[in-house]
Amino acid sequence: MKEPTSSRRRFLGGFAQVATFVGLASGDVLATGETTPPRTHKWGMVIDLDRCTGCQACAVACRAENNVPVSGPVNTEKGRAIFWMNLLTTSEGTYPGLREEFIPTPCNHCEDPPCTKVCPVGATTQTEEGITAQIPDRCIGCRLCEVSCPYTRRYFNWSEAEWPESLREQLNPDVAVRPHGVIEKCLFCHHRIRAAKDKARAEGRSVTDAELHRLTACAQSCPAEAITFGDLNDRESEVTRQSESPRAFRLLEDVGTRP
Amino acid sequence: MAGVADPTLAGNAHEEAAHDEAALLQHLPLEGKGLWLSLLVLAAGTSALFYGFLQQVLHGHAVTGQGSHGAVWGIMVANIVNFIGVSHVGIAISAVVRLLRLKRYQQLARLAEFITLAAITTAVTNIAMDVGRPERFIFNTLWYGRYTAPFVWSCTVITTYVVGSSVYLYLAMRRDLWLCETKVPSRRWFYGLLALGYTDTPASRARHTRVVWWLAVVILPIMVSVHSVYGYIFGLQAGRPGWYNPFQAPYFVLGAIVSGFSTVIVALALLRKTLHWEQFFPPRIFKGLGIFLGFVTLLYMYFLFSEYLTGIYASPEGERVVFHDVLFGRFAIVTWSAMLGGMLLPFALLFFQGVNRRVVSIPLSVVAALLINAGLWTIRTVVVVPTFYHPLLPWPVAPYTPTFAEWCIVIGSFFFFALLLLVLIKTFPVLELPEIEEEEHVRAQRMPLWKIASVGFSALAGVTLIATGLGHRLEPEVFHPVVIWLSGTILLLSVPFQICVLPERRLRVFVRAPLATARPAPLRPASVVSYLASARPRIVKAKVIVGRF
Repeated sequence: MKEPTSSRRRFLGGFAQVATFVGLASGDVLATGETTPPRTHKWGMVIDLDRCTGCQACAVACRAENNVPVSGPVNTEKGRAIFWMNLLTTSEGTYPGLREEFIPTPCNHCEDPPCTKVCPVGATTQTEEGITAQIPDRCIGCRLCEVSCPYTRRYFNWSEAEWPESLREQLNPDVAVRPHGVIEKCLFCHHRIRAAKDKARAEGRSVTDAELHRLTACAQSCPAEAITFGDLNDRESEVTRQSESPRAFRLLEDVGTRP
Repeated sequence: MAGVADPTLAGNAHEEAAHDEAALLQHLPLEGKGLWLSLLVLAAGTSALFYGFLQQVLHGHAVTGQGSHGAVWGIMVANIVNFIGVSHVGIAISAVVRLLRLKRYQQLARLAEFITLAAITTAVTNIAMDVGRPERFIFNTLWYGRYTAPFVWSCTVITTYVVGSSVYLYLAMRRDLWLCETKVPSRRWFYGLLALGYTDTPASRARHTRVVWWLAVVILPIMVSVHSVYGYIFGLQAGRPGWYNPFQAPYFVLGAIVSGFSTVIVALALLRKTLHWEQFFPPRIFKGLGIFLGFVTLLYMYFLFSEYLTGIYASPEGERVVFHDVLFGRFAIVTWSAMLGGMLLPFALLFFQGVNRRVVSIPLSVVAALLINAGLWTIRTVVVVPTFYHPLLPWPVAPYTPTFAEWCIVIGSFFFFALLLLVLIKTFPVLELPEIEEEEHVRAQRMPLWKIASVGFSALAGVTLIATGLGHRLEPEVFHPVVIWLSGTILLLSVPFQICVLPERRLRVFVRAPLATARPAPLRPASVVSYLASARPRIVKAKVIVGRF
């Protein structure tokens, strides 16, 4: 498979995109992708850092969509708050010439994830469609995956999940609530992917890029349309086009996880 | 096993042996205020361990100072590494004493083995308390184990190690258990059961000696593997600056030897004093152990120097910030006090004792060992924690301060360890009982065919199961390979057990060692019943006769 060109630019200067790729090593589907719709998906996400305004709508939408518990001030101070999608903020320069940069960071769904290797019980695995999945019911909470993730994109449930009364009404019935003592993480809104695929199958067609490119909660809620989701095995998709842009790069490439 | 335990026994063997045996076993009876007091204190300390654990179960791991954007692992992991380390040395001492025939240290061997068992139990308890879901941790690891995970390797090697060292310990102790059956009448049934029909013949002794010798050869590499795996848990994480290091495995093995030896010295000194074992452990034993401890400590300091030099010398940025933090930053006080007070100073003490012919001091060795223990424990926290302060992406990090619950677990596990050790010492004969030296080399007799078949089958089945497990490593959901290869390992390790324990002749008369004091033969209920059954017609007839007159 031809690797999408990934040139590293000064993303901190704000001229580049973060391209977060996902996928399987085998790419033979890609060759036939031109003529027939691909049967195997390879989900990916590209985030245009130039467009990101740092409004954190993605993080808020993600919390609401995925039933991420409210941590409270004490736990947040101790670094125990859970964010499936979070904004990494860095600043450059000093006051008059200060620049703030924002990098929205979901799970990178690496092609060679270190977390699935160290999981002793198979609670986290890589699915055929390239999602790094997590099964909370299987997880024993040893936190080796959390330790091994170079991006700190996995979160342990340090205490029992709880919500204020007012937020209970908005819990999403499509996503299970996790107990304490297990790891959780971004799953690329797999319940939405499944719903889209079911709908397409019922109508006897394959999923279209128009349905997909704003599918996840973060992409849907981004006012600047910086986040693009889609199928990297589909040559025509928006996400493939953007990922092949010369401005595209992957986060922390030297770790070799191929995010 | 072979040979006289103490050189003082050489002359006039029998009389002194009898006297000696009483001294060797005097630690067994459960009497004295000191014992109950120490049991009480240790139980109270152990309750701290379970108090900390209960807090975690009730309120989640939020009662610790750890956090996702903070220290993901804390002092509990350092504690696990410490106890796994301590557990390694017991069997190492015992195996080395056996392989190199170090008669002077022979009486130390079993105490060291007990330290192994107590420490590994404590370590596994600690692992169970550190994971988020203790109730499913063992089952899930066995049933769904993934061969790529260091955690599964650790589960495999720990199981192998525990089973192997138990078999080793048992076979080396079996003759003493058999002797205890007669020497300790109050626990006759217990030791009789444990001895599993041992017969004390020259051939049987020779067989035990041979089997245990080979087991010692096998167990040494297993011991190295266990701590190496702990090195790999840290050393294979490419995303963790400060850990990612091919050097980690030998480094951890060396650390295990250092902290294990110092624990053995401390425990030995304590027991020698309280149980009056002065005659078996003369001060020169401490000197010898101290010299070795000093040597390995020096080696550890050399490793440490090499690691830190690599860390701060033109290394990648991620590594450099971690090591700067360790050496000159927020961990500097901890690191330097551990290195100077916990390694350099005790090394100086041990060196001073080692090179001076006239200095043979137990307190000095014990102080040095205690310092080294504390230093090594501290260094392990400095291995575990600092990397979490420097993630590769610039996330804000919450500082880590261990909480009360964590200290409860850590300190409680030391009490737990001591409690387990005390129970083991009070249950089993710790010192090897003397035996008559075999002059001619006796070979064990050939095993009968059915026994060869049983042993051969177990060996073959064990290897087959391990191979099957490894072969199906890619389908953990269907075949549960970890269970398969672990049962193979256990079956394989049962081979030495079978060789020694399976009876040679099926209809052998059961021989007990003669009792120390004469006891009346007990009337067995079975014989009363059979007597009545055979005598019944005559009794009836007698009654009839009586009735007629």
